[in-house]
Amino acid sequence: QTQWDMATAYPAFNFHTQNNVQFAKDVQAATNGALDITVHSGASLFKAPEIKRAVQGGQAQVGEFFMVSFQNEWPLFGLDGLPFLASSWEDARKLYEAQKPALEKKLDQQNMVLLYSVAWPPQGIYTKQPITSAADLKGMKWRVYSPTTARIGELLGAQPVTIQEAELSQALATGVVDGLISSSATGADNKLYEHLKYYYNVQAWIPKNAVVVNKRAFNALDADTQAAVRKAAAEAEARGWEAAKAVDAKSIATLQDNGMVVEPGTEQLRRDLAALGQTIVQEWLNNAGDDGKTVLDAFHAAR
Amino acid sequence: MRKFLDGLYATSGWLAGLSMIGILLMVLLTIISRILGFSAPGTDAYAGYAMAGAGFLALASTLKRGEHIRVTLVLGMLKGKARKALELAALAIATLLAGFLAYYSARLVWQSWQFDDISVGIDATPLWIPQIVMALGTAIFFIAFLDEFVLELLGKRTQPTQEEYNYE
Amino acid sequence: MSEIAVSVTLVIVLFALLGGSVWVGLTLCGVALFGMEMFSSRPAGDAMAMTIWGSSSSWTLTALPLFVWMGEILYRTNLSESMFRGLAPWVNALPGRLLHTNVIGCTIFASVSGSSAATCATVGKMNIPELRKRGYPDEQIIGSLGGPATLGLLIPPSIILIVYGVAAEASIAKLFMAGVLPGLLLAGLFSGWLMLWALRNPDKVPKADDSLTFKQKLWESRHLIPVVVLIASVVASIYTGVATATEAAAIGVVGAFILSASQGALNWQTFRDSLLGATRLYCMIALILAGAAFLTLSMGYIGLPRQLAEFVGSLNLSPAMLILALGLFYIVIGCFLDGISTIVLTMGVVLPIIQAAGIDPIWFGIFLVITVETAQITPPVGFNLFVLQSMTGKQITYIARVCAPYFLLMVAALVLLWFFPGLATWLPSQM
Ligand code: NA
Ligand code: NA
Repeated sequence: QTQWDMATAYPAFNFHTQNNVQFAKDVQAATNGALDITVHSGASLFKAPEIKRAVQGGQAQVGEFFMVSFQNEWPLFGLDGLPFLASSWEDARKLYEAQKPALEKKLDQQNMVLLYSVAWPPQGIYTKQPITSAADLKGMKWRVYSPTTARIGELLGAQPVTIQEAELSQALATGVVDGLISSSATGADNKLYEHLKYYYNVQAWIPKNAVVVNKRAFNALDADTQAAVRKAAAEAEARGWEAAKAVDAKSIATLQDNGMVVEPGTEQLRRDLAALGQTIVQEWLNNAGDDGKTVLDAFHAAR
Repeated sequence: MRKFLDGLYATSGWLAGLSMIGILLMVLLTIISRILGFSAPGTDAYAGYAMAGAGFLALASTLKRGEHIRVTLVLGMLKGKARKALELAALAIATLLAGFLAYYSARLVWQSWQFDDISVGIDATPLWIPQIVMALGTAIFFIAFLDEFVLELLGKRTQPTQEEYNYE
Repeated sequence: MSEIAVSVTLVIVLFALLGGSVWVGLTLCGVALFGMEMFSSRPAGDAMAMTIWGSSSSWTLTALPLFVWMGEILYRTNLSESMFRGLAPWVNALPGRLLHTNVIGCTIFASVSGSSAATCATVGKMNIPELRKRGYPDEQIIGSLGGPATLGLLIPPSIILIVYGVAAEASIAKLFMAGVLPGLLLAGLFSGWLMLWALRNPDKVPKADDSLTFKQKLWESRHLIPVVVLIASVVASIYTGVATATEAAAIGVVGAFILSASQGALNWQTFRDSLLGATRLYCMIALILAGAAFLTLSMGYIGLPRQLAEFVGSLNLSPAMLILALGLFYIVIGCFLDGISTIVLTMGVVLPIIQAAGIDPIWFGIFLVITVETAQITPPVGFNLFVLQSMTGKQITYIARVCAPYFLLMVAALVLLWFFPGLATWLPSQM
């Protein structure tokens, strides 16, 4: 019997975690217990920024990481964090297909194998005051947590405020922050409606988690077991994307039930943001070079 | 040699103190940048690295002053040879563990460099750079334990002064 | 090997290393290493280095060294002396007199700091010398610091309530509110115990100064102004949004410098001593935290806390018995592991059990934090015990013994919380 540890950062109730737990169960059933995967949720084994490296170095055989977080290392990890590039579920899926060959190659170089990748619900704008255009965001205390959100804040002329997730709800309560970009699910989980009034569902981007396995650990499995893992992974991917859609709908309902005003955003706002998105995509392309161009071309062709 | 070692511990202790000032400055910069509305990206991460510096670089000087705590209940009940034997055993185990820590801290730097591991925050720091303080601090810690072990073996180890214990 | 056998083996190794006078932080590393090599198939070294680096450089902890520094600066001013002069006329009427300054000091500082070690180190640094100077007995000075300093975890802001809130999908704002009344209740129990002890041992409490009229008392209270201004500015910085709870420690350090300068106590020597003293005290705590992080990782791989929690869950107990079993479980495991790790390692298993039993997650969060508070003062591994050992030079067995009544008071608070759940749930329901 082979035993694997799977390191994930999200709590047990999160849909990604539930999907991973199901994946582990499926693998165990399909291999008659020959491969036993223990899911360590809630960052109980490694914390979010450490997980990718832990899989790379073999400290955990399997792990799940948020790809956008790693764009400092390789710009293409940040592809699905580019604002207003792929704003619908269909486009996000196409973006994933376009990204996949380069992603698999990169992970292979890093001694990892991609098992599956599942999206988060789309990102929208949370604010205290109503907004009708990008100009309304000017001077707003804007929470940043990644290079992209920092750049967006800069282009909007907002005042960037670095706040870690742990202190977010307190920072909102005391007025350290009055606006941010996040998904409907994060908003519902963190109960942002306790402090913020408006959610503009502009679907800025649809970021993804990647579930990866250490290459040496994967190659050590016999062919049948590898096939069983691959099959369970494909199912997990399909299941996960459906779950993301369901969670988005459910989270938006939660926001509304708790008195939040949920709007698609005015035409003007969307136009402003699209223009801003083009700037950021261009900057990203300059940074990502030929690899980036190939992927983007493939994506535009698929659309 | 004695002079060199004591200088080494003192220097790294001072670097730890500077790191402590670094934490304060980074956190203050975060607050001030928010009030005045300018951007100071990555200060939260730098505060964390400075904290690692304060903790790891002070390891040896804290040991030499007897301020790392241990349970000396059994040790205190023993006398003469038995006491020396237990002290040597404790120092040997501690030296091994500190060596283990130092070896893998150095490996961490090397692997971070090999993996091109970069901070996921806005600071985008190559992680091997701040991790050097951990490798350095634990290496000096290991040397300090080895030093204590040899001194104890030669019967030249002076018990660290515990003046700080009584405030008056 | 069964869970019991693994647990017993690890506890034996822990006692052997601790008893053999190996330094505490390294002892925890040693137990973790032994556990991983013996009971899991995973290589330990690289994972250890990664985890220790992660926990030692994590921004969330930066308040700890800064608060320790703040304590070291204030210790070199006459702030504590003037604070004692201001408080003395008021607490002198209470049995136990100035010992109550420990409870009061910890309760107030707990509303600024989110950690128990920072509360213990900062308040201890200021109060211990003053109380000793006035002839109060060591056993009561140390006990009434070790117990109340754990309030740092329960009274908001609190790191551990945030960790729990994220894991349990509970509102952190509500959890913070929920911690207030139980925190005050505990402070009341601690003070009550001090009075009871003082009434039974009147000869051990130093004499009070001459009794003063109310007007004189008020006049004496002017000595409290500096400390009130300092604490109020730190609290205000949090609630006006100038600083987050983590950043507030930096405001505290700056405030301490201003105070020190205004008293003419700030010079190169006091600056250097406070800086290096704080760095070493923090380093002592940091080595233990590093060992605890490695031990947590090792436990994660071995799966021990999780299997024990699963075992409790498999018993299909009634809610009352379940809470009793979990309370015992967390208190016992809290003797050996630090509280936040225990919560992180077991949440995945325990929360579904709690939900299935229909127990309010907010209430359970407060219950859990009080059990984690006990972990700070139960031997052999208790952070407040270590901080107090470092500050007083006493044996850990002595410190654990004088803290024992406070452990029992916390258990009493757990019982009260069970019979009066409103203690935790009433305030948040008013939001
Ligand atoms: Na607190
Ligand atoms: Na304990």
